[in-house]
Amino acid sequence: MAEQVLIVGGGDGGTILANSLDRRRFDVTVLAASLAHTFQRGFLDVALRGRRPRLVRDEGRLVGSHVRLVHDRATAIDLNAGVVATAGGARLEYDHLVIATGMTTDPSQIPGLTEVNARFGDYHTDIAQAKKLWAHLDTFNGGTIALGQSSPICKCPPSPVEGILLIDELLRAHGTRERTRLVFFTPYPRPYPAEGINDVVAPILEQRGVEVLPFFDVDKIDPEASTITSIEGDELHYDLPVVIPPFVGADIAYEPGDVVDEGRFVITDKESLRVKGSDTAFAIGDASNLPTSKAGVGAHLQAKVVAKTLAGKRATFDGRTNCSLDVGHGRATYVIGSYQAPVARAAPNRLKYVMEWLLGRFFWMSLKGTIDPVFDIYFKVTEPKAPKRQQ
Amino acid sequence: MQQTGSGRTLVDSRGSSCPGPITDLALAYRRSKRGDVIELWATDPGVKPDLQAWASKTRNEIVSIDDQGDKIVAVLKIVNR
Ligand SMILES: Cc1cc2nc3c(=O)[nH]c(=O)nc-3n(C[C@H](O)[C@H](O)[C@H](O)COP(=O)(O)OP(=O)(O)OC[C@H]3O[C@@H](n4cnc5c(N)ncnc54)[C@H](O)[C@@H]3O)c2cc1C
Repeated sequence: MAEQVLIVGGGDGGTILANSLDRRRFDVTVLAASLAHTFQRGFLDVALRGRRPRLVRDEGRLVGSHVRLVHDRATAIDLNAGVVATAGGARLEYDHLVIATGMTTDPSQIPGLTEVNARFGDYHTDIAQAKKLWAHLDTFNGGTIALGQSSPICKCPPSPVEGILLIDELLRAHGTRERTRLVFFTPYPRPYPAEGINDVVAPILEQRGVEVLPFFDVDKIDPEASTITSIEGDELHYDLPVVIPPFVGADIAYEPGDVVDEGRFVITDKESLRVKGSDTAFAIGDASNLPTSKAGVGAHLQAKVVAKTLAGKRATFDGRTNCSLDVGHGRATYVIGSYQAPVARAAPNRLKYVMEWLLGRFFWMSLKGTIDPVFDIYFKVTEPKAPKRQQ
Repeated sequence: MQQTGSGRTLVDSRGSSCPGPITDLALAYRRSKRGDVIELWATDPGVKPDLQAWASKTRNEIVSIDDQGDKIVAVLKIVNR
């Protein structure tokens, strides 16, 4: 009898995994809270460039015909009993479970941010929020723009730096850059946490006249006074706040309860991708607590590792990251590293920008698996070398 | 990140290169209160100067940084929250 694979979450990771499983061997079910699959990277274009690309596709058209798609939300996962309960009252059993529920923004974690976020929007939540932010940026006529992540975990770690550089580009085009103070705050010691890439972006920020506030870990925001205060005790005044909210994992009651951490991220073995203490459950993508970037590329590679493991092959995740970083003016670079290789220094250029654009164009195909051979070659060619040496 | 008894948190950041151990530390610091102790494990040698800069900026204490060959173990005390 075919083995039952239940994938919770029909986002990037869940979809890639569903399409990678052998249809003769597995009965694949995807439990999806939403059927509107969104290309999240596109929020940058909407919020910071005022573009209106088509960012949403119907999940039913992205998964293969062998996949049973259930439009419902998981509310409880009992790993001991092997049952997933849904908001619609269903109880789904499985032989293998894969948790791919991603993460969402949660402004409520920072006092004052809910109000600020509702008013000014952001570029990590959804298209409506991205449009709201664009409306403010498009009509901005000088003053202080303060941009940064309000918590250490951020979907797509390069996206804060990209945000400030794209705003710089926009203001120059609008002729308002000279009247604007651009402030980039970050909880890290430097603009980009990984040093290889920081060596590349720090000079660019300086050259574009962006002020950097390191070790600025947002404590609270005062919407009346228009100030952001850090845990470290610094205060920043803004006219336009572009605050990336904290993120949380899906609101699911787990049994046992200790498989999720305080941020509701699923505690996952960093190589086998198995959920802590479980032989039958895996977690992939943003939903896990892996010590690697929250990015679609990670979700992709992790989905492939789980697909291989389920097929009975030996496979482990090596921590590979591969995030593009758009520095504006038609140039980009890539943040590439792994558990073994620290992030390498890579200068931005036009070619990488074109590659990033191409990867965006091929996004939907990458979910369907139709261009897997191209990705296999790409990941091989760009494999980070220089094994990390202990001293 | 795991709680190992009252007020002591173990942060296992081994293998993290991007965004790196400083991300995990920042997260633990957010969730900490005065008097807590954070034990951070890392393999990235860049963590040492980062910890020193972090401690001087946030005015918290580095109890020890110990290079054990296969990992660097740092013990930090939160005195300023
Ligand atoms: C501005 C921005 C720029 C980005 N740039 C890049 C980039 O350049 N490169 C890159 O690789 N990545 C990038 N990303 C990140 C990328 O989009 C995510 O990391 C990726 O989507 C993660 O995939 P996932 O499958 O883990 O989660 P998601 O794709 O978010 O999918 C999670 C799915 O789970 C569903 N779900 C949630 N809870 C439940 C539940 N209880 N029951 C059932 N279903 C549920 C959701 O509806 C959703 O469909 C960017 C993101 C943003 C916001």
